[in-house]
Amino acid sequence: MHFFYDAVTRIENHAITRWKQSGKKVVGYTCSYVPPEIFHAAGILPVRLRGIETDGMEIGDAYFGPFICSFPKCLLQQAGKGEFSFLDGVLIIPGCDAMRRLDECWRKAGEDHQGIVPTWFEYFDVPHKSEVHGMNWFVQEIRNLIERIERQFGVSVTGTALRESIREYNRGRRLLKTVETLRAEKNVRVSGTDVFSATIAGTVLPREEYTRQLEKWLEDLSGRDPLEGEKKRLMVIGSIADEIDLFQLIENGTDAVVVAENLCFGVRYEGNEIPVNGDPILSLARHYLETSVCPRMFGKYKQRLALLREKIERAGVEGVILQNIRFCDLHGSENGLFQRDLEAEGIPCLRLEREYGPLKETGRIKLRIDAFLEQIA
Amino acid sequence: MTIVAGCDVGSLTSKVVIMKSGRIVGSAIIKSRPKPKESAEVVMQAALDTAGLNMDDIARCTGTGYGREKISFVRDIRSEISCHGKGARWLLPSVRTIIDIGGQDCKAMKVDGDGRVIHFVANDKCASGTGRFLEVMAGVLGISIEELGMFSTGSNAPVTLASTCTVWAQADVIKFINSGVPFADIGAGINGAMAKRVAILANTVKPEGDILMTGGVAKNTGVVNTLEKLLGRKIKKTRKADPQMAGAIGAALFSMEKLKNIPGGGE
Repeated sequence: MHFFYDAVTRIENHAITRWKQSGKKVVGYTCSYVPPEIFHAAGILPVRLRGIETDGMEIGDAYFGPFICSFPKCLLQQAGKGEFSFLDGVLIIPGCDAMRRLDECWRKAGEDHQGIVPTWFEYFDVPHKSEVHGMNWFVQEIRNLIERIERQFGVSVTGTALRESIREYNRGRRLLKTVETLRAEKNVRVSGTDVFSATIAGTVLPREEYTRQLEKWLEDLSGRDPLEGEKKRLMVIGSIADEIDLFQLIENGTDAVVVAENLCFGVRYEGNEIPVNGDPILSLARHYLETSVCPRMFGKYKQRLALLREKIERAGVEGVILQNIRFCDLHGSENGLFQRDLEAEGIPCLRLEREYGPLKETGRIKLRIDAFLEQIA
Repeated sequence: MTIVAGCDVGSLTSKVVIMKSGRIVGSAIIKSRPKPKESAEVVMQAALDTAGLNMDDIARCTGTGYGREKISFVRDIRSEISCHGKGARWLLPSVRTIIDIGGQDCKAMKVDGDGRVIHFVANDKCASGTGRFLEVMAGVLGISIEELGMFSTGSNAPVTLASTCTVWAQADVIKFINSGVPFADIGAGINGAMAKRVAILANTVKPEGDILMTGGVAKNTGVVNTLEKLLGRKIKKTRKADPQMAGAIGAALFSMEKLKNIPGGGE
């Protein structure tokens, strides 16, 4: 577990440093709608950008202003501080309006902070609907992205290479599905913190190395004893979250275990394998646009609620923590709907509004979590 | 007879309640010190003195409040939300909705017939609507928090505090003082601003049944009266004990419950 923990608690982990030292390229991206298989097929390490280790907001606030989600602000803060200097390229995605604005704020900040905008600084559009028109658009976006990667990095992304990358990512998906099965067991033997670390690690590690480590960890897990003591089984959903300490806050020193989550850094869609037959670009487009049901997608609330119900049922969830980063319109409003519908079914819910990452108020959050756990006793 | 205690170390005040056979036999309240451990020890000793007991007489003690994890002599810890629910139920058995205004936060909760919290919300934005807000404003006026509470009754034209930010509201209050506005009108405006913030939270839980306020601000009649008007409902009064002690009472009751679950531990 230490391997995953070390990999996800630093922006530039050892694996990234080693990758760079071998002369290979690294590209950062900002959203779960990007198929990392494309970069993998190009021999480039895709790293999902994270705002951990932020210790101030003098750059982020200066360009974004105060009334906006703190996640993109933390990304900009870290970019402005040069913490992403290991990147050879950045891909910005309009996951939400705040993340869309990261594109222009980062470019603007680059006028004042020299060298923070890599030469390859690109935008990857994602439609809000997955029906025919949106799907065609997304397929075209992927083709266009591949062309831009090939041009900038002097590589060729062939259909064969893409299929091989899909196979490699599918291996990880299968392993994560097994992890999901294990954590849903009645006598759970793995903490939510460990599972979350292992899942996030998949977004910041070279894939082959990740798959290998995941296999080793699963071997270790299968022989492990159940966690000690009676546990309250929780699910965590809502805004973007990649902070291990949020899960530690929930689990450490309490009788809670996170047995399920629905977060875009977590195991939201893992287990859905991508077909390796047929046109790989079409397969990638379908997987990332159709099965990724986060609230940025129009008209999919019922599908999202059904997914939560399925996870609650499967993992025996006793309470749901619905967290959202302050000013997160998408999750802030959807959490209200989820709370209404889940509580109507007798599932206790706790809504938590917070800041992102190191900026979150731990004392205040801890009080609410403790009270919630006592409530569902 | 088994004697139990509850220790509530809050951000502004620390409280201890000692109970025997379901009755309060000793209690104390002090201003919290920088270190929660020290606050707990000092207030516990003060409460023991009022009861004529010593620490060895306490069979079990539960800690609550922001400093709950730092109290050296407690066997159990509970969140203040659960403790206020339990304590309010003891103060007023018919209570179903509780508004607790603490030093640095404000909570509204609904409880069942046993005082068990079934739903709660807490302020997420800032310090307005908390005891700290009143403390800052009383400081600007150079009066005590208790005096501030009395001001509303003597006011015919309460001022409006435009900002909910404590610091900016403080600037407004200074401006009103400099303009010669009567203290009663400023005080009533402060209490009204506080009540409006709390009403937002209270309405979020959709109050039902009898409502009780706990925490120090429950003793501020200006806030309570304005809140009643805003909610369109009466807020029940209790003479059974100081509502500021509700958290410590709840903690003591949890200690008693724990003992009862241990064979030979209860009364």
